Parts: sequence; C-alpha cells; structure tokens
Amino acid sequence: MYTFICNDSPNGILSGIYDAWDFKIKQNRKFHSGEAAAPCSHTDISLLCREPENYSLFCEYLPVTESEEKSDKVAKTILKRLGLEFYDTLLNAILAITPESRSAPDKADAAYKTVVYALSSPLGAAALNDLANPYVHRIFALSRATGAEAHHLLGFLRFSELENGVLFAVIHPKNNALPFLAEHFTDRLPQENFMIYDENRRTAAVHSAGKNFMLVDASDLNQDILNRFSQKEQEYRSLWQTFFESIAIKARTNPKLQSQNIPKRFWGDTVELRTIGP
Amino acid sequence: MNIQQNQSLMEKLAILTDAAKYDVACTSSGVDRRGNGTGMGNSIAAGICHTFSADGRCVSLLKILFTNECIFNCSYCQNNCNSDVPRASFTPDEVCELTMEFYRRNYIEGLFLSSGIMISPNYTMDLIYQTLYKLRRIHHFNGYIHVKAIPGADPLLVEKAGFLADRMSINLELPTADSLKKLAPYKSRATILKPMRQIQNRITENKNEVALYRSAPRFVPAGQSTQMIIGATPEHDYQIMRVAESLYQKFELKRVFYSAFVNVNQNSELPMLPGGPPLLREHRLYQADWLLRYYDFTVDELLSESRPDFNIYLDPKCDWALRHLECFPVEINRADYRTLLRVPGIGAKSAQRIVKARRMNTLDFQDLKKIGVVLKRALYFITCSGRMMYRTKLEEDYICRNLIGDKTQIPKEIREAGYQQISLFDTGMELAP
Ligand code: SF4
Repeated sequence: MYTFICNDSPNGILSGIYDAWDFKIKQNRKFHSGEAAAPCSHTDISLLCREPENYSLFCEYLPVTESEEKSDKVAKTILKRLGLEFYDTLLNAILAITPESRSAPDKADAAYKTVVYALSSPLGAAALNDLANPYVHRIFALSRATGAEAHHLLGFLRFSELENGVLFAVIHPKNNALPFLAEHFTDRLPQENFMIYDENRRTAAVHSAGKNFMLVDASDLNQDILNRFSQKEQEYRSLWQTFFESIAIKARTNPKLQSQNIPKRFWGDTVELRTIGP
Repeated sequence: MNIQQNQSLMEKLAILTDAAKYDVACTSSGVDRRGNGTGMGNSIAAGICHTFSADGRCVSLLKILFTNECIFNCSYCQNNCNSDVPRASFTPDEVCELTMEFYRRNYIEGLFLSSGIMISPNYTMDLIYQTLYKLRRIHHFNGYIHVKAIPGADPLLVEKAGFLADRMSINLELPTADSLKKLAPYKSRATILKPMRQIQNRITENKNEVALYRSAPRFVPAGQSTQMIIGATPEHDYQIMRVAESLYQKFELKRVFYSAFVNVNQNSELPMLPGGPPLLREHRLYQADWLLRYYDFTVDELLSESRPDFNIYLDPKCDWALRHLECFPVEINRADYRTLLRVPGIGAKSAQRIVKARRMNTLDFQDLKKIGVVLKRALYFITCSGRMMYRTKLEEDYICRNLIGDKTQIPKEIREAGYQQISLFDTGMELAP
C-alpha cells in the first residue's frame, strides 16, 4: 500500500493525483522489467490531504511536492476527456472543507478514485451519476456543500464603499467560495473596483474596473483604509436598514424560519442583521 | 388624503416599502443574462436571495410601490382611497438611485416596481415606464426588473415597459369574478385578463423575432406571473387550483403566487382571522402548485367537487398516494420517471438521480438515502429488487397514521409559529388513534 500525502488545496490535490498516477505507471514498468516483485493497481494507492492519524506499518507514505505544472496537466486531461461540468464538480469538492468523519473516504482520495473511475470506464463523465459508489458520492456531497455555501454568499455578501471609491466585502465561509464569488462579481460589476476578503483564509479577490480579477494573499491587509468609508456609505446602509424593517409582515413574524433560511453564521457580515446577530 | 410635503427619501422608502409588502412575489428567477462588460448587472436564472426578513421570507428585489396614492377602493388593500395611511410618491430618479446604490452593494438582485393608481392608469403606467427607461438606458442597469402592468393602462405603454423588464405581472387578486366585483369594484376580470393576454401574445411573437434575429430586443424574458389572495373570500381550494391550472395552461404564466389574507384595514365585511393569516392553507396550495408544474399532476386528480379542500394534516402528494394505493408499491429499479415522481418522499431531483444511478447499479435502500430520498415517507410505497424496507401493510389507515405521526407533514416554520390553526392541528393529533 502506498499513501501520497498532499496539501489541502486544488494545486496540492491535483499534483497528488499526478504523482499517484505517475507512480503506478513507473511501478508497473519496473515489474515488467523484473525490478519490482508485484504489479501496482490504483487500489493499492490512496491519497490523503492531511497528516495521517495513525501510521500503518504496511504502508509506504510518500509526500507530494505540488507544482503548477503537474496540476495543469491533470486539469487539462480532465477538461479534455471529461468536460467542464465534471471538472467544476471536482474542483468544488476539492474546495470544500472536510468535515470530521471517519467513515467517509478522504477528500483527496475520493477525488483521485473518482477521476480514475471516470477515465477508465466507458461511462466517462457520467461516472458522476453513480452515487452508489462511495468515492463518487463523497465528491457529490462535498461539491454540493461548497456549491450551496457559495450560492448563499452570492446573496449574503455585502459591499461597503470605501473613501477611495473601492467596494469592499469581508466573508467568513467554511468552504473556499472565493474563486466562485470573484467570477460572479467580475461579471456583474465590470466597471467597479472591488475586493472580496476571506478573513478565514486571509486571501482576497481583487478586481479593477474593466479587467479580470486576481486572487492574492492578503495577510498584510491595511486595516486602516478598510475602515474609512465614503461619505454616502452610512446613508445607504440606513436606507437599506429601513427597507429591511419595513418589508416584513408583522402578522407573519417568524424568527425560526428566518434563521433557518439565513443561518446565523452569515449575519455578522451583513448590514441588516449584524446588530441583531450573535 | 394624508399627503406630506418635503418628505425625505428615508420616509418615502419606509412608506412605500410598507405599502408593497403584501405582494408575495419576490423572486428574481427565470432569466440568465451575463454582464455586458460596460453597464452594471447580470441575472442568474435560479434566482438569488439576498436576505430574509423577520417573517422569514426571501428578500431578493427592492420591492416598492412607486406611489401608494390610489383612486380606487379595493377593500382588502391598505392603500385604498378611503384608508387613512400616510401617502408618498417617488420620483423616477429616486427609484433609480436606490436601485443602483443597493445593487452595487449587493443588497438586492434588482427592482420590483408596483404602484397604486395615481390620477389614472395611464398616468401611473407612464411614470413606471419612465423609471424603467432611465434605469436601463441612462444608468445602464442590467440586473433584474419585475414590473406591474397597471390594469386599464394603454396597451402601448404596457408593451414599451415590457421591453425593459424581465418579468411582468398583473394580479388576479381574487379567485372568482364575483369576489372581485364585491371587493374590488373598479377592477374586473376583463381589465385584468386583457393585458395578461396581451403580454402572453407579445412574449410568443418575441420568441419568433429572437429566433430570426438574435439581437432582437427581448420582451419580458422571464415570463409573467400573478397572485391571488387566499382566505378573504369563500372559494374552496378546488376553485382556486382550477383557476391556477388554467392560468398555466391558457395564459402560459410562469408562476401563480398565493397570498394568505391579512385584514389590514380591520374591515368588518372581511374575515377577521383572529388566529392570524391562513398560512397552512397557503402552504398546501403552494405544494399543490408545485405538483402541477413539476410533477405532472392535474387538479382533478387532487381535488373534486365532493372533496374541494386539501387535507390539512397531509401534504397533497401523500394524500393522493393514500387514496391510490392500487398504484403501489413501485419498484425503484424499474419504474419510469413519471411513476417515481408520484411516490411520496421522492422529489424531482431524487427521481432524476435514481434514473441515472440505476443504469450502473441495482439500487438498494442505502443508496436511496444517499440520493436524498426521504425514506420515512417513501418506505410504504416502494420496493428495491422486490423487497420492501420493513414489513409494512399497504393499508390506508395504517400508513395514514404513520405519516401523520411524522411531524414534517406540517412545516416546521408553521408548527413553531404558534398560530391558532396549529392548536387545531394539535387537537386533531390527540383525536387521531
Ligand atoms: S388599485 Fe391597487 S393600490 Fe389601489 S386600492 Fe386596489 S389594490 Fe390597492
């Protein structure tokens, strides 16, 4: 048994898939030339995107060095042979945080096994429909979680206008929804300068008017500028607050339904629920 | 009338939001439009909720009236000319400013503009048109717009507005012409259905134009919708659903909305509803509406003259299944899509996933759970490879008792809201064996 240990990021996991695949081919070459004692199949290999909890004596652990080159090759192969929808699903799953669950396969391993399954079976991209397969199901569930949170944030994210005219938003998503959000707002607000800051991961998407966005490391963000709002900012926030309070129907007041629909963890980053929030 | 001078934008917004809140439609769905690189905005067909108000409803659009002045006196409406409420009117520029600034900050998905009728239907419709024109052509707003067509306005104005909007709606208000005559004497079925038909025809023509010239301007691309008030007048669910069904079939509406009546004017001629608005009834109507649109049911399968109202205790699909036990159990690995759709606990998405997944594997109950089937509801009605999940009886009383025991039959939000109808329900529970 061989376990490849990779970083928990799209680059890391795709590089892991590359290494695992490459390893299998080389191992089999060795077997045919008599250098290795046994052939190697994909089932002998697993991927892990965290430190193993228990090291097993009968397993060899191999660290993955991530590189753009490796992950690009894997991405291109997937796109070419399995299509964009498959790739998006896989990427969404990779961007998901992995909930603590011993029974479910590791995220990286599920990604690896699902890609192997799709590429080696006549089903191709339709392998994703085989929800009875535990790896496919894991990818399906994780991808749905990221997709759902990102979709929530399309609506719940709030921009504030800074003194310099830039629109600024802070988010605290569980899953890595930033790339998805950046794409959406680049299409929606092409002529605005904006920045979306994921405070949990300390990364930001930066967009200047008329250009495409960039994802940047934002660990040394200048907090000072971020707290200086434009003159009109407070006025529009109050107008929005007024709208928000007036639109509710008293006879139907239902706080439980409200927090079921917009979970409280999102409240702190909105304008209208921040003050009521936790 | 109570017209104030020199109101601030804030005061106007408070009044004209409050006046618009009983319109239930707030969805931004039905049209996919990418950004154009220069203006502001795009549109996502699935719709996006931006927040949820204290009543738990989705807020997607800046839903406001242009004015709450009105020359008419519909008795269910708080803006009617006899009611003593503060009045206000926006200017087109004010509506544009609010829409643009809210949209930039991602507070909203777009604008829902409705209006009371000031001076005349034409005068009002023209102001609405001007607002939309400014928003689209001067501010280059490319987000979602839902606009009301004012009954009785010049068809030409309605058409011009339709080329700037994504969705148009005209409220049917009440399910029957009789009720309308009583409660809204200045409106009639004819003045409501005529523009509805006009919009429908124009949408059809426009589809042909767009097929011919891809760059032809789009007319109401997200289709039209309407709303009916539930519980102000004595119609049964059967009548209401028949009306909805024919609106879908004959007028090709995208959505019919149902609005539980709130007696805002404390009008003694109308039901007082001390237990609050009929929310559970509204909920059942939405469930049934869903069955018509996505589950291939007809109203006559669900209700009849002799059973004119929905069962409060069971959702319409379970209720139907219990009365048609001869159709069950259904074999998951063989039944066609349409048959799967009719099984309680299997939604449209689950049914699609089942059809795809079973091409590769024979499915068992564990797989169904992963796929998202609600087994505690479905288990009475299905087999996997010929076996039922537990040994259960296919017997109406037995299944009914078990299904009613399942609390999800009454949506959590209604169960927990503590309206009187729930205590009614609770009594029912105690009576049930
Ligand atoms: S016409 Fe519209 S605003 Fe005027 S009273 Fe009737 S429902 Fe209300």
